[in-house]
Amino acid sequence: MEKDGFEQLKHQVEEWVREAEKLVHQIPQTQLYAAIGVVLLTIFFFLLVRLFKRAKPNTIVLTGLSGSGKTVIFYQLRDGSSHQGTVTSMEPNEGTFVLHSEINKKGKIKPVHIVDVPGHSRLRPKLDEFFPQAAGIVFVVDALEFLPNCRAASEYLYDILTKAIVVRKKIPVLILCNKVDKVTAHTKEFIRKQLEKEIDKLRASRTAVSEADVANEYSLGVPGEVFAFSQCQNKVTVADASGLTGEISQLEQFVREHVKA
Amino acid sequence: MLEQLLIFTRGGLILWTCKELGNALKGSPIDTLIRSCLLEERSGAASYNYDAPGAAYTLKWTFHNDLGLVFVAVYQRILHLLYVDDLLAMVKREFSEIYDPKRTLYHDFDDVFQQLRKEAEARAEEMKKSKQVSQPISNNMGKKQGQVQKSGIQGGNKKKSSGESGNDGEDGENLKGRKIENGHTNGKNFAADRLPSMGNVNGKENVSSNNGAFDVNKLQKLRAKGSKKVDTVTNKSSKEEPKKKVTKKNRVWDDSPKESKLDFTDPVGENGDENMVVVAADEGESMMDKDEIVSSDSETEEEEDAGKDSKIETKKKGWFSSMFESIAGKANLEKADLEPALKALKDRLMTKNVAEEIAEKLCESVAASLEGKKLASFTRISSTVQAAMEEALVRILTPRRSIDILRDVHAAKEQRKPYVVVFVGVNGVGKSTNLAKVAYWLQQHDIKVMMAACDTFRSGAVEQLRTHARRLQSHVRSGGISLVKNCAFTVEFIEIPIFEKGYEKDPAIVAKEAIQEATRNGSDVVLVDTAGRMQDNEPLMRALSKLIYLNSPDLVLFVGEALVGNDAVDQLMKFNQKLADLSPSTNPRLIDGILLTKFDTIDDKVGAALSMVYVSGAPVMFVGCGQSYTDLKKLNVKSIVKTLLK
Ligand SMILES: Nc1nc2c(ncn2[C@@H]2O[C@H](COP(=O)(O)OP(=O)(O)OP(=O)(O)O)[C@@H](O)[C@H]2O)c(=O)[nH]1
Ligand SMILES: [Mg+2]
Repeated sequence: MEKDGFEQLKHQVEEWVREAEKLVHQIPQTQLYAAIGVVLLTIFFFLLVRLFKRAKPNTIVLTGLSGSGKTVIFYQLRDGSSHQGTVTSMEPNEGTFVLHSEINKKGKIKPVHIVDVPGHSRLRPKLDEFFPQAAGIVFVVDALEFLPNCRAASEYLYDILTKAIVVRKKIPVLILCNKVDKVTAHTKEFIRKQLEKEIDKLRASRTAVSEADVANEYSLGVPGEVFAFSQCQNKVTVADASGLTGEISQLEQFVREHVKA
Repeated sequence: MLEQLLIFTRGGLILWTCKELGNALKGSPIDTLIRSCLLEERSGAASYNYDAPGAAYTLKWTFHNDLGLVFVAVYQRILHLLYVDDLLAMVKREFSEIYDPKRTLYHDFDDVFQQLRKEAEARAEEMKKSKQVSQPISNNMGKKQGQVQKSGIQGGNKKKSSGESGNDGEDGENLKGRKIENGHTNGKNFAADRLPSMGNVNGKENVSSNNGAFDVNKLQKLRAKGSKKVDTVTNKSSKEEPKKKVTKKNRVWDDSPKESKLDFTDPVGENGDENMVVVAADEGESMMDKDEIVSSDSETEEEEDAGKDSKIETKKKGWFSSMFESIAGKANLEKADLEPALKALKDRLMTKNVAEEIAEKLCESVAASLEGKKLASFTRISSTVQAAMEEALVRILTPRRSIDILRDVHAAKEQRKPYVVVFVGVNGVGKSTNLAKVAYWLQQHDIKVMMAACDTFRSGAVEQLRTHARRLQSHVRSGGISLVKNCAFTVEFIEIPIFEKGYEKDPAIVAKEAIQEATRNGSDVVLVDTAGRMQDNEPLMRALSKLIYLNSPDLVLFVGEALVGNDAVDQLMKFNQKLADLSPSTNPRLIDGILLTKFDTIDDKVGAALSMVYVSGAPVMFVGCGQSYTDLKKLNVKSIVKTLLK
């Protein structure tokens, strides 16, 4: 990340230099100085913005399988309003805003940066881009259609929990069981247990022996013990919500816990 | 009738749907379109066919890349709606004017849409009528329209509006390209439907918006002209339309950069009106004539503009404005701006052994996702294009489902069923060798493996497999000795049983018996070796299809050489096609995974990996990279992408 940024910057500077060289021959001195001034100022701003951005992780990342309801929750957090519905996301939704439920609060409230990363597996590499700034990760689970998706959800969660950056920075994870407005939705306790069971099995198959293995950056839990989320280095909690009807108070609590107002 | 028209953001929020059309869509065509077309880098195609129980829809779409919007129209396939492209283009134009990222509801767009639809329908009606008068030209235009609209970089209409020659050749190419996609999407194929007629207005407009060789100002003029013509045509057919539409239209259509707007609004208005009068007077004449009038008109105008243009050119060259431009971000990218960069990128991909058709398709898709976007500050077009391509490549190569075979094996074990893998492929790609490597890898994970020799066709095949089995045993055993030292268990008893029934038996039956035997003796995995076969060999492909149908394996692994270039596409496509066509089942199994062999011999020509994955949608599960049993790897997506773009 850091290297990339620098490389890009270097590239840009090189480009300007080339451009400038060409122009130097045609233009009067005063204009030249003005141009240099503009360039330097922009570089300065660029760096400042970058520095500022990296300083404090203030992003809440919404992840989960496709169809779990992330986009609905995102707009619920932002607008608290109704809309026409959603389709499969092709790009992340990103926004920095004061939570809708806090708009009427008095005093100065710090806005939160929230990202909804598409769940389609082809788009998952995008997720890594947001972890460096993440103050918290919300893993949304469809509590209605949980069983058919249990394995896929567990694998995705496993991948997230074993990411080096998540482990190292101990980024807290909230497993959010969505769609509890429906009576047939599974309870969060049930979902937690099933996920733990699945992850326990995944642990067995993901210990790398050769280069042909699906390997993860870190291993999870305590060897020789049945896996439980409490064994994770970072805090993993479970909550439920309904993005559609707007019952997202537990999520908002999580957000406020990790991005101070 | 149009079934539905949706406007949504790339983030997935639906902004507007037509409530009047209201009828709920059967199945989920939109999500399917996104998942199996737009996210599979096929957005360069012209349309997408969706089949659900009781519905056969065709979907068409257009992007507004700068605002990140997607417009999709859904209609019954049997109705060849002629005005859809036109309508989508107009909806896009109108909607982008009122779009605001903060807003989620756009009820006020209902009326606008009604108006647009009426206009489009009327125009289509008009086209139909006039088509009978002047068949040839409208056909020609129609062809052009279908192509230019969607075919990305292929729409090489760089000549002026009269540049219709050479269109047919391109068309053929286009069709050929689309054929690839037909095979594997399993019924939901991309139609290469070439809409007849509809052309005049639209064709005209497309050419101009496509024509990067022109200066923006000229372009805008042409556009305004197109819009005028639209209005006259509509007015003719539906007289009740208010006259004020004309002026309103003018504002809307004229969406070129500000600078030119300031200079030229007036002349355009004048000219446009003039033009309208001329055309209106022509009422009753064939389309052919109208077209001529307009094109000759535009030519004279070009000459008129020449002076002004050059003035602007010189001004543009000023260093400050160019500096300012690069700081503030350039104007929206046009197809022609992208073309050189895309061409270079395509060539680079092809030097890496990516099949030509695939490289072409990818470039189209990237073009579709960039066209109309604003270039970010301090970036060059080439680097923007490269970044977009990199993202697309990562997307394609990222498996869309889990490739954790071990987890699947454990799951099968819990159900007390052996996990069955069938290895398929053409002759001589190294099926048996790599089957042995996979066996070795599984054994390292304490999984009991059995091999089934179902190559009952080529003599010596069974013996070859037996040799592998024996060698593997000694391999594991010798490895086992060191294991004994470290760990507290012995591996002495590990054996790789091999199930064989000699030659000239039906391989499907042999496989069946092998699986039964595996269930009996408690093997966890059965690796089925099949005869290599050319994708065109019908009897052998039928036999394979039967084997797969009869044994419903957990994994059908296609073994392919990393050396192949353009042939990769043909092999995989035909394999899938034949498996689908020749299967007795209505829901046939296709290839679920790819094993790439001889990866150590190809240096940086890693293109086959991309071609195969793109064509089949199946992930690369293993990579064979050497002569020894340990030479099996996972594909590293990041490094492949890096190599491809190097
Ligand atoms: N009953 C119920 N349905 C919900 C709820 N939240 C979301 N849904 C439905 O779930 C579907 C998927 O929601 P999305 O928000 O688009 O899902 P997503 O997680 O963003 O999916 P991707 O963008 O594909 O990753 C929609 O049809 C929603 O109507 C909820 O709280 N209750
Ligand atoms: Mg979404």
